[in-house]
Amino acid sequence: MLKLQNVYRTYHLGDEQVHAVEDISLDIKPKEYISILGTSGSGKSTLMYLIGLLEQPTSGKILVEGKDVSKLSDDELSVIRNHFVGFIFQQFNLINKFTVLENIMMPAKYAKEKLDFDPEERALELLKRFNMLNRKDFFPNKISGGQQQRVAIARALLMRPKLILADEPTGNLDSKTGEEILNLLEELNKKDGVTIILVTHDHSVASRTKKTIYIKDGKLVGKYI
Amino acid sequence: MKIKLRDGWYDLLRSAFADFTRNKTRTFLTALGITIGVLSVVLLIALGLGLKNYINQQFESLGANLVMVMPGNAFSQSEGGGMSNMRSMGTSFMGITFDEQDYLALNRIGNIDYLTPLFYKSGVIEGNNQRKTGSIEGANEDIFNLMNVEIMVGDAFSKADVSSRAKKVVLGYSMAESLFYDPKEAYGKSIDIDNQRFKVVGVAKKKGDPDMDDAVIVPYKTTFGTLNPNKTFYSIYAGISSKDKVAEVKEQMKTVLLKKYKKDEFSVVEQTEILNTINQIFTVINAVLVAIGSISLLVGGIGIMNIMYATVTERTKEVGIRRAIGATERDIMMQFLAEAVTLSVLGGVLGLILATLIVLVIRIFFPASINLLSVIITFAISSAIGVGFGVFPARRAAKLPPIEAIRYE
Ligand SMILES: Nc1ncnc2c1ncn2[C@@H]1O[C@H](COP(=O)(O)OP(=O)(O)OP(=O)(O)O)[C@@H](O)[C@H]1O
Ligand SMILES: [Mg+2]
Repeated sequence: MLKLQNVYRTYHLGDEQVHAVEDISLDIKPKEYISILGTSGSGKSTLMYLIGLLEQPTSGKILVEGKDVSKLSDDELSVIRNHFVGFIFQQFNLINKFTVLENIMMPAKYAKEKLDFDPEERALELLKRFNMLNRKDFFPNKISGGQQQRVAIARALLMRPKLILADEPTGNLDSKTGEEILNLLEELNKKDGVTIILVTHDHSVASRTKKTIYIKDGKLVGKYI
Repeated sequence: MKIKLRDGWYDLLRSAFADFTRNKTRTFLTALGITIGVLSVVLLIALGLGLKNYINQQFESLGANLVMVMPGNAFSQSEGGGMSNMRSMGTSFMGITFDEQDYLALNRIGNIDYLTPLFYKSGVIEGNNQRKTGSIEGANEDIFNLMNVEIMVGDAFSKADVSSRAKKVVLGYSMAESLFYDPKEAYGKSIDIDNQRFKVVGVAKKKGDPDMDDAVIVPYKTTFGTLNPNKTFYSIYAGISSKDKVAEVKEQMKTVLLKKYKKDEFSVVEQTEILNTINQIFTVINAVLVAIGSISLLVGGIGIMNIMYATVTERTKEVGIRRAIGATERDIMMQFLAEAVTLSVLGGVLGLILATLIVLVIRIFFPASINLLSVIITFAISSAIGVGFGVFPARRAAKLPPIEAIRYE
C-alpha cells in the first residue's frame, strides 16, 4: 500500500546538516497496525510527515499504491492527504474558532470531487460512536483533552482514509484517557480495517501494536513483530 | 472537478468572520482605514458633483439660445476648446470692456431678437429702513426676456424708460423680501441705490438663482452717472429665437466686433459652450480630488496588508492543520484573500454609509449628491484593495511549507 525506498530527509541548521531521517525503507501493507518507536529527536515525526506527504524526502522514493509521489503536484498531494490519510497529533490540532462538528467536517470542505456520503451525517455518526454527540456544538477549548483527541480521530476518519497517522496521540493525556484512545485505535484497526501507524517514545504504548519499528538518530535500527 | 461554490463561499466567509470576532478591535481599526479612504473619496465626488450640478442649474435658468459677448477668449470652442483655454481664463477678468457703441453696432444685425448690454456692480440698497448689499445690474428692457425674469407685481421698465434715464428699478424676489418682508409690498415704493432714489416699478418672481434673486435691475443709461461713470459694459447678451440662425448670427457679431477689437480680446459664446467648458473643468477637478482621496485609500490598503501579514503568522498552525487535512495552496490562498476582501469591503460599505449621512446633512445648504458611480466605485475600489493588498499575505500563507506550519507553535 505504501513504500519508502532509501528515504533521506536532511535539514540544514546554518552550516550543520541534521539527518532527521536517514536511509529508511519500509513497506506498509493494508490493515497493518504499526508503531514507530524512538527517543525524542530520533526523527519519528519527520518520518511520519514523510509518510503523510506533508514533507518531501531529500532523496529516496515514496510510493503510494505504486505511484511515485515525488512527481506529484501540490494539488495531487493535497488530494491524497485529503482522501488517503488521516492525521492525529499529540496537541490534537483542532481549530478553536470552529465547533466540534465543524472541525470534524472540515476535510470534506477540501474534497475536490463529489463525495458519496453526506459529511454531516458521517460526522454525527462518528460523534455518536465516540459518545460525543452532546458536545457537537462545543468549541474545542471547552472540552477535555480526551474528548478533543476523540474529535481529532473523528476528523481523521471522516473521509474514510485507508491510513491513519498518529503522532504521540496519548502524549498529552493521562494514562486512563490514553488507554481509551489506544483502545479506540485498536478497534478501528480490527473492526474497520484501517491501517494505523502510531508514533511513540513509550515502549508500553508500542507494545500494543502488532509490529514495531525502532528508529534511532533517523536510522531504522530494528523491527519487532 | 466539482466544487460546490455556494458552500465554498459560505465557508470562506464563516472562517473570516470567526477570525474577525476574535479580534474585534483590530478588525475594526483595520477596516477603519478603508472606511476613511472611501469616505473621503465619496465625499469629494459628492461635493464635486454637487458644485457641478449647482453651476449647471445656474446656466439652465438662463434663456434659450443665449449668446454672450465677453472679454477674453476663455470659452471660445473654435480653438480646440476645453482645457487648452484654462490658461487664458485668468486674463478674461482683466480684459477689455465694451461700450454703448458696440451695443449699437451689434443691434444693427438682423435675426437678433433681444440684445442688451450688461453692467453690474455690487452695491448697497436701502429701503423701508433696511440695508442690503446686492448686485446692481444695468441693462435694457430685453434683459427680462433674455434671462427669463418674470414680473410678479408691477411691470418691467420700458424702452422709453431706458432712453429717458428713468430712475426706475425692478427688484429681484429675495431683495424685495429682504427689504420689505412681503415682496409684493415693494411695488410702488422708493429705494436708494448708492444714495440715488429709485422707484420700484416691478418685483420679479423667484428664480431660485441667488444672483438674480438678490439683484436690482435698472435701465443701463440710468447707470451712466455715479454708478457707471465710464459708461462701460462687461458683456453684451443676445437672444436668438431661431436655433438655426445662432451660428450665422455669432459670426456676424464677431465680424462687427473685429472691426474694433483683436481676435483674442473678446469672445462670442453660447451658454452651452460655457457649460461644456465648465463641465470639462469640473471633470478634471473631480479627478484630481479623487486622486487625492485615493491616497487615504492606499494607506488603508497598506493597513490591511500589515494586518493580514500578522494574521498569517498568527495562524501558521491553522494553515498547517488545513494543509494536513487536504487543503491545497490555492485553498489557503483563497481563504486569506477572501478575508482581506471581506475586511476591505466591510470598511468600504461603512465609509459609504457615513458619507451618505454626511451628504444628507450637507444637502441642507449645498446640493451635494451621492450617485450610483460612488457606490460602484466604493465596491470596486474596496474589493480591488482587498485583493491587491491581500494577495501578498495570502501568497505567503499558501506557500508556507506544510510541515513547518504544523510544527509551528
Ligand atoms: N525544520 C527543521 N530544521 C532543522 N532541524 C529539524 C527541523 N525539523 C526537525 N529537525 C531535527 O530533526 C530531528 C528529528 O526531529 P523529529 O521532530 O522528527 O523528532 P521526534 O523523534 O519526533 O522527536 P520528539 O519525540 O521530540 O517529537 C531533530 O533533531 C530535530 O531537531
Ligand atoms: Mg515528534
